[in-house]
Amino acid sequence: MKLHPILAALRRHKAGVVLIGLQIALTLAIVCNAIFIIGQRIQRIQRPTGMDENNLFMISQLWVGAPTGDDQGSTDKLDAMQRTDVQILRNLPDVQSAIAINSLPLINSSWTTGIGMKPAQERETAHAALYFGDEQMIPALGLKLIAGRNFNVGEIQHMGARGHNRPPIVIVTRTLADKLFPKGDALGKTIYVDRDTPSTIIGVVARMQVPSVDSWARDFTYSSVLIPTRLDANFSRYVVRAKTGRLDAAMKESRAALFAANPMRVIDDEDGVKSFSDIRANAYKADRGMAILMGVICVILLAVTGAGIVGLTSFWVGQRHKQIGVRRALGARKVDILRYFQTENLLIAGGGAIAGILLAVGLNLWLMQHYEMDRMPVLYVLAGVAVVLALGQASVFVPARRAANVPPVVATRTV
Amino acid sequence: MLKMTHLSKVYRTEVVETYALRDFNIDVKEGEFVAVMGPSGSGKTTFLTIAGLLESFSGGEYRLDNVDVSGLNDNARSKIRNEKIGFVFQSFNLIPDLNVHDNVEVPLRYRGMKSSEREQRIMQSLERVGLASRARHYPAELSGGQQQRVAIARALAGTPRLLLADEPTGNLDTQMARGVMELLEDIHREGATIVMVTHDPELATRAQRSVHIIDGQAVDIAEDPRFHARTAAAGDRI
Repeated sequence: MKLHPILAALRRHKAGVVLIGLQIALTLAIVCNAIFIIGQRIQRIQRPTGMDENNLFMISQLWVGAPTGDDQGSTDKLDAMQRTDVQILRNLPDVQSAIAINSLPLINSSWTTGIGMKPAQERETAHAALYFGDEQMIPALGLKLIAGRNFNVGEIQHMGARGHNRPPIVIVTRTLADKLFPKGDALGKTIYVDRDTPSTIIGVVARMQVPSVDSWARDFTYSSVLIPTRLDANFSRYVVRAKTGRLDAAMKESRAALFAANPMRVIDDEDGVKSFSDIRANAYKADRGMAILMGVICVILLAVTGAGIVGLTSFWVGQRHKQIGVRRALGARKVDILRYFQTENLLIAGGGAIAGILLAVGLNLWLMQHYEMDRMPVLYVLAGVAVVLALGQASVFVPARRAANVPPVVATRTV
Repeated sequence: MLKMTHLSKVYRTEVVETYALRDFNIDVKEGEFVAVMGPSGSGKTTFLTIAGLLESFSGGEYRLDNVDVSGLNDNARSKIRNEKIGFVFQSFNLIPDLNVHDNVEVPLRYRGMKSSEREQRIMQSLERVGLASRARHYPAELSGGQQQRVAIARALAGTPRLLLADEPTGNLDTQMARGVMELLEDIHREGATIVMVTHDPELATRAQRSVHIIDGQAVDIAEDPRFHARTAAAGDRI
């Protein structure tokens, strides 16, 4: 199929060609970026926390009439109440392990701090989230210790929630260890979690995501420090690992057991006892919503563009009805007519795609400047081009086939 | 060259059958210039569309260049139209989006001819009709007579064995019509077989012989009693 006569004909229908080309260009630009955003959101939703999330749930509770925790005596009382609760949970038949912890990945309630390499360092070397717990923290959360050792029972301290954090030893994530000690020799080294108190790194875990999934935490997503300290406050969180397949039963019996031991507490009916799968779903609700919205926009845009191509081609087929008959009379086969319209569409869609590539890259740069978007890989643009070209060919097929079925005898009709 | 034997064309609806051609017989020899005449609705155009393989027929036999065309599929019919038949339509039927050169090129492209040969044929046929200088003009920039000449050039470019002309001067004024007819006569003198459908008895006299179609049948006017009856009745009134 030679392009010259098709181009010559298109030059005489500039308005329709420009409109549909522009529509294809805009669709390509938006769909590329939207699919890239969807991909990023899905990647975020699927990223691992570093924990073994199966059979894990969290209890959030508030003591009623509990000691204030402002002095050592009341802190000790709170610690005793908390340890009793943890022991009750550990003794339940469907529970494998239980710990008290200040926070958990994805719950968006963080204690973060700057980490220094020297005492009273002016500018932090890294930023990290702090997790306070006891020697059961690593096995209960299902973290993977890849270097060094876990905390011993004798190394666990406790302090009030407003106390001064001075851990002599810590366990860090690999990401943080690599950032602080790029040579990979973090074990046994000293860091400053508190400005003035040296903390020795005794272990490294493979991964532990920070509690926040918001954009402000994106630079230290996997930089966490495990502190061998129980935090005592009138509010506490327990993380419980149920025995395999006993999650629902363990969740029910945990609530009942805690109330049976001490009814002077509040555990919210809806959010007080929550499986980690629910926590994950809730954390990424906005991302999932955004991915769905972008998906719907893509589908609508592609449908509108497809309909536009069908409409314009149908109009042109109607307009050139006689001309098609003349071509058939002069020897064109049905397949020649079909190819004519498909080639014509390929030229328009190809032109639109070239403009669309520029628009897509421009839109991505604008989003990078204004909305912390990453650079879109070329693969997305190429995939977008393939999608709009395929959409064009699919959309033009039905009206083109209708054109191919115009009988040659039409050439002899005067109306 | 063109032979139809007992050919019929029936248009069927749920309630009625209409014969456009019935027991139609015609034999056009190679190199003949035949005028086909007849009143409106007699079946002239139906004859032309069937002769040009633009439409199928219901019964009988049609042999074109000694080939029985009744069993041919759409692609084979397209190939014969492209290679053996040239069309000249009453309303020219040039493609308005293409210039004169590209219009003449249309049937050659469907033949898959090499570019150099196409160019040669296009220019030869445009020179033949005296419009080589207008090759880059669009149909809308030409007079009716010139457009019909382009249509003739398009038909000639493929060197067809049979030229079918449907009222070729019907949309032209007298002077332009004369020019087009002289062109057709020249083409015939060069050996082409031409079948021309026309209303105009004067134009028909320019052909070697005339065939009249009445009520879907080719008739010999001299012997057909219906024709004599009508002539006699007209004579009585005079």
